[in-house]
Amino acid sequence: MKKFFPYLKYSGITLAILVGVFACDKTIEEPQRVGYAPASVDEKAGTWKTYLLASAEEISVPAPTAVTSSDYVAELTALKGLTANLSQEQKEAVVYWGAGAVYRWNEIARELAARYNIPPASTVDGKYPVPDAANPLADPKFPFANPPYTSRALAYLSVAQYDALVSAWNYKYKFKRSAPSKVDATIPVALPTSTLPSYPSEDAVVAAASFTILKAMFPGEAPYLEAKMKEHLASRQWAGMNVTSDLTAGSDLGNAVAAKVMGRARTDGMGAANNQTLTAGMIEAAKSRGIKEPWVSQEAPARPAMLPNFGAVQTWNFDRKTLEQIRPVMPYVVGSAEWQKELDELKSIQNKQTREQARIANYWADGAGSYTPPGHWHRAAANAAHEAKFSEIKMARTLALLGTAEMDAGIACWETKYYYYTPRPQQFGVKTSVGLPNFPSYTSGHSTFSAAAATVLGYIFPDQAAKFDAQAQEASVSRIYGLIHYRIDCELGLKHGKVIGEYAIARGKADGSGL
Amino acid sequence: MKKINLLKVFLTAVLIAPFGGWGLLAQMPNDAIYMPKGQVCVGTMYTHSSWKEYWENTLKRENLNIGTHTTQSVMVMPAIGITNRFNVILGLPYVWTKTSAGNLMGQKGLQDLSGWLKWKMVDVKGFTINGLLGASIPVSKYVPDFLPMSIGLQCRTVSARILPSFQHKSGAYVTGHWTYSWRSNIHVDRDAYQADDRVYNTNEVSVPNATDWGARVGILKRKWQTEVFVENFSCVNGDNIRRNDMPFPTNNMEATTVGWYGKLQPKALGMNARVSYVTSGLNMGQSTSIMVGVLYLFNFKK
Repeated sequence: MKKFFPYLKYSGITLAILVGVFACDKTIEEPQRVGYAPASVDEKAGTWKTYLLASAEEISVPAPTAVTSSDYVAELTALKGLTANLSQEQKEAVVYWGAGAVYRWNEIARELAARYNIPPASTVDGKYPVPDAANPLADPKFPFANPPYTSRALAYLSVAQYDALVSAWNYKYKFKRSAPSKVDATIPVALPTSTLPSYPSEDAVVAAASFTILKAMFPGEAPYLEAKMKEHLASRQWAGMNVTSDLTAGSDLGNAVAAKVMGRARTDGMGAANNQTLTAGMIEAAKSRGIKEPWVSQEAPARPAMLPNFGAVQTWNFDRKTLEQIRPVMPYVVGSAEWQKELDELKSIQNKQTREQARIANYWADGAGSYTPPGHWHRAAANAAHEAKFSEIKMARTLALLGTAEMDAGIACWETKYYYYTPRPQQFGVKTSVGLPNFPSYTSGHSTFSAAAATVLGYIFPDQAAKFDAQAQEASVSRIYGLIHYRIDCELGLKHGKVIGEYAIARGKADGSGL
Repeated sequence: MKKINLLKVFLTAVLIAPFGGWGLLAQMPNDAIYMPKGQVCVGTMYTHSSWKEYWENTLKRENLNIGTHTTQSVMVMPAIGITNRFNVILGLPYVWTKTSAGNLMGQKGLQDLSGWLKWKMVDVKGFTINGLLGASIPVSKYVPDFLPMSIGLQCRTVSARILPSFQHKSGAYVTGHWTYSWRSNIHVDRDAYQADDRVYNTNEVSVPNATDWGARVGILKRKWQTEVFVENFSCVNGDNIRRNDMPFPTNNMEATTVGWYGKLQPKALGMNARVSYVTSGLNMGQSTSIMVGVLYLFNFKK
């Protein structure tokens, strides 16, 4: 027996470790969001100022049938049938969409942005094919959802959701059709209810508007988006929340509003944003302003600059003259003592980057394969609004104010970048720990996006203003730690972003919400 | 001062092949040789591994913004004879990476401390069956998701290996092994990432478990050893590198490697060397690796 003791001992140890390992769980825990009754139903929101609709009644919605009518009673009966015997999958859909219509569609948009945020590969002859909207799933996929593209997609999504919901709120309180479960207490509901009238359905409005916008922004995803939209609508019936006529009226309204919003999108100048023939003139103009060494793509083969004419796209919260007035001043030029000092700072960080600097650079990198800085801030805003139990309309207002500010930040920052056309630190021997974006250095896009976002969010969530501001500061300096921006790019980008955010706040203060 | 029976003095060989990829695993004892009780052999190995082409999913490509990617390491590896048929093998590498083109910053640092328990379970007429149990743990907070520059993946791992071998009286031998490695989830600096064609809104990343196998034939003599081998490393699942994107720790990495290993240890001091080449793979670089090491035997048995 003694002879075998060591074997038993080792086998025992082996067994113990293996059990421990098999017990270890590889599933990934993600924060789960569930539905809530809003802190306020914002019953006056039908009067809030829209972005593109001339008025809340520009799109007409027919009056609903009375809740006492036989048609409505038949709808209730059908609804009751739909709430019965739900499969596990249907129950999960109810919980998923119950977290919030605007919340979920914003999340879906960010996910698509991440999936489409990959720069095209070069071909064997050293060219970079341009993504083709008519053939979105070919290589390279359309779109390349870079930060400007994503800022724009999210802005149009949020504006369409907001305008459609303002109109919906108008009709809800005009017609005052109660929710099915308030009419018939025997209708089982799976989600928190409120006093909000249910016709037209706010969920259907958001689903249809979001589907229309995102299908245009991510044309290769139409089948995926359609499946999401259909599940969203169905989930409202599985949850006992809407009769079919609530949903139909909401879908019609959402589609019509989104079609109007897409009218602006088609003519906002995005079609010319990638006009590469303009860069030669931009470089000459920058030189005439005193730029000695213009930006040059650091990729091999040299990649055409990212959206050099995005700065000409139509802004939301200020006009072209203002854009030029608030443009940051001339940065330090190559060779100046100030420039040398900032380059030396980067070289010093490169030599001894701390783990904390690397962490900050990585946390805020939001590079290829991510939902980009605008997506990062939309996520923060949606979560804050969710935690504050905002109604759908208030959530949409929050994201529209943020989304338009982010797109304005993208436009104004890109205009600045190509106005000065300054070189990246990598043109002077600096490496990067986060990857190098393919456009001029000054100003920092992260800084501009983040300051604009933090400014808007500080207005909407005053008690969290300091936190958002600190996050923007960290996002900004992360680009120094990641070695791809000079300090002046970040500092003046932050100031620029703050001014841009203030224009969105001015809009918010004047939108009739009283917020 | 020490009685050194050279015939019994053999360091367990080092497998550094998967290292040539994105800096995956460090070392795995893969032979049927044991340190006698009371003897410790310390190897110090330098490895240079580089690739110019890699498999992006199944597409074999080069990357002009990487040029040639190089991983180098120095590893200290003591093999300790607890009994004549039970050894403990430890390893700790310092790793650094660089590229010849582009602007990605090289990473460097101490990687993962690994340990193996090696037990000769069956020993009949030159035929042995050996069981190994290994574990590794990161010893520094290197960044795991700045691939291909990261020096490792930050996983804690536990591995179980079966290793049958037959050695003829002439010294000729044939050895095989098969391993399953459990790899822990890791945490990255960002709080969202893309994998499996979706976005995960968390900083926790699931790294796939992996298997590896190897087959080797060689000759083992008093003072020297020579062998050729083929090895394969495969994740059991995982996603693929997206078109023109960078690798990620969730990737289903695979590599098949062929190579030669040799050792010369006439006295306490010896040396070993290894060359290997990846012939096929998935989501990894097609690396060529060269290792040279210095071995020294300590005998604590009075």
